[in-house]
Amino acid sequence: MPQLDTSTWFTTIMTMLPTLYLITQLKLLNTNHYQPPLTKNSNLQSHSIRWQPKWTKTCLPLSQPQQS
Amino acid sequence: MNENLFTPFSTPTILNQPATIPIILFPAMLVLTSKHPINNRLATIQQNLTQLILKQMMMTHNAKGQTWSLMLMSLITFIAMTNLLGLLPYSFTPTTQLSMNLAMAIPLWTGTVMVGFRFKTKNSLAHLLPQGTPTPLIPMLVVIETVSLLIQPVALAVRLTANITAGHLLMHLIGNAALALSTTNFSLTLLTSTLLALLTVLEIAVALIQAYVFTLLVSLYLHNNT
Repeated sequence: MPQLDTSTWFTTIMTMLPTLYLITQLKLLNTNHYQPPLTKNSNLQSHSIRWQPKWTKTCLPLSQPQQS
Repeated sequence: MNENLFTPFSTPTILNQPATIPIILFPAMLVLTSKHPINNRLATIQQNLTQLILKQMMMTHNAKGQTWSLMLMSLITFIAMTNLLGLLPYSFTPTTQLSMNLAMAIPLWTGTVMVGFRFKTKNSLAHLLPQGTPTPLIPMLVVIETVSLLIQPVALAVRLTANITAGHLLMHLIGNAALALSTTNFSLTLLTSTLLALLTVLEIAVALIQAYVFTLLVSLYLHNNT
């Protein structure tokens, strides 16, 4: 069986080691997985819109008669 | 006839230089890396496949096991690409070489055992004895479990080698038989259809990668989490 011919084992193993542990890993690290752009911010918007009382002073000037 | 049958598995040389070096390096070049947010179809397919496989494989591990995710992803990518490229006619498949599979299996298995011994010594030693064994059987069972543990890397390597080699040999044999029978025409169609079916079954070479990585995963899981 030619697989048991140990003269080529060194070359094969020495080539496989940088291929597997270096090149493939570097290639996988360098693929950027971008998130789809619109999925992140929508929750934050609905979370922080709570009517704060200080806004009524600026937004409804008719509710504060002494300022007019 | 033996000489002709096994020559596809001897390491190829071009002008007496080893051609295995570019052959082993080549499948890694097929992994596309690009900096664009939106890629072409091939790159998108590859990226989606990588993410799918990553999520499927790493779901069952805790945080400590997930530090191995890059290693396992590169392992499954490398073996899958190599095996699929070996299905082309007249190509050389490096995973048929026992040397390479042993060199892949032994360090990775040793790594999982070492992780288990370092961080969870009692747990990993306790795996040598199944629960609920009667007391007189304990020494024999410890020996049996140790042997079954020590045979894991050899089994990993030999499984991959033998399966890919046997598949390639079978395709050679059936192809030669179909060619020899082409003079008598009616059995040719039967044999070529068998060869085609065997080729698609041999796309279960990819399933072999699953088998390889999953058995590695199982041992990692057992040693790490339990």
